Amino acid sequence: MDAPPEPTPARLLLTCLKIGSLSFGGGLSGWLYREFVLRTRWITDDEFATTLTLAQILPGANVVNLVACLGERLAGPRGAFLCTLGFILPPVVSVVLLAEILDHVATAPWIDAALAGLAYAALGLLLQICWRGVLRFRRTPWQIAACLAIFASVALAHFSVLTAVLCIAPLSVLIAARVRP
Amino acid sequence: MTAILDLLREMVPLSLVSFGGGTAIIAQLESIAVRQHGWMTAQEFLHAFAVTRVAPGPGTTLSTLIGWKVAGLSGALAASLAIYAPSTFLCYAVFRWSNGHRHSRWYQTLQRALAPVGVGLVAAGVLSLFRVAGGGLVAPLIACLVLLILELRPRTGILPMLALGAGLSVLWHLMP
Repeated sequence: MDAPPEPTPARLLLTCLKIGSLSFGGGLSGWLYREFVLRTRWITDDEFATTLTLAQILPGANVVNLVACLGERLAGPRGAFLCTLGFILPPVVSVVLLAEILDHVATAPWIDAALAGLAYAALGLLLQICWRGVLRFRRTPWQIAACLAIFASVALAHFSVLTAVLCIAPLSVLIAARVRP
Repeated sequence: MTAILDLLREMVPLSLVSFGGGTAIIAQLESIAVRQHGWMTAQEFLHAFAVTRVAPGPGTTLSTLIGWKVAGLSGALAASLAIYAPSTFLCYAVFRWSNGHRHSRWYQTLQRALAPVGVGLVAAGVLSLFRVAGGGLVAPLIACLVLLILELRPRTGILPMLALGAGLSVLWHLMP
């Protein structure tokens, strides 16, 4: 494997500009995971997932929160600013352009199908975060249990993310403090 | 100018209570833009929502489109800033504080405890997105195919996967 490139501010900005411009169909944390964890190895798996939790329980667009934290972690306040800016600017511009274009173009059913297909593929990126997580946690039953408990309470029982995390995370911390890694 | 002030007055507080992220505030945005201020019709709002699903980036760009509709370019910029800046700054501050303790033992413990929580949240998000996306069997099929390819060929780029998804979905649609 090649050595990972240094996370310079310029490289962080370019990476986030790229994701911001190309992430059609969503799945943004999947893009971030591939760029910051799998490809460059700037952030560890566990650090990514922990930061993601923080980004999700605090108010705001989760991925924007996440990207600000990743930037801070790798290059301080300047990194946070550049990452956030690079990440938000292209979507803000393109959403306005797209709205104007679609206003003037009649849409065909096959276009709708193609756009839906983008979103389905983007879901595959998010599945990769889940898959890698299960692989990492498989030898630690309580981590699998914590993962399942969150999934069930949010996706199946429809508790809000905040409620679910506030109930389950403290239990998870208690167990983590008692069990040696 | 008053329109910009109205936008700021509505969006800044919304940013700070938007627990659950972009999807959680869609209902609130609709209430503000359609019912309270009449900035757009329900039809226009739905259309704007569809556009944000397709465009790259986070779905919160819905507020950008509301700003654009209200006051053009300056409205779009004001609304984007108002919806992103307060919450991002808050999260940044909390992260910066906790990151100072990154090497301490309690932080490592916290990380082992919260990593599975983060993964569980992503999994829950995936399921709710499958529900929203519709499409029946083709949606999980394409998503799993993409996962399989990414795992077997880790160097595969994401754009070819998006193209594959779009292509397969069109083929599926064209089938009798």
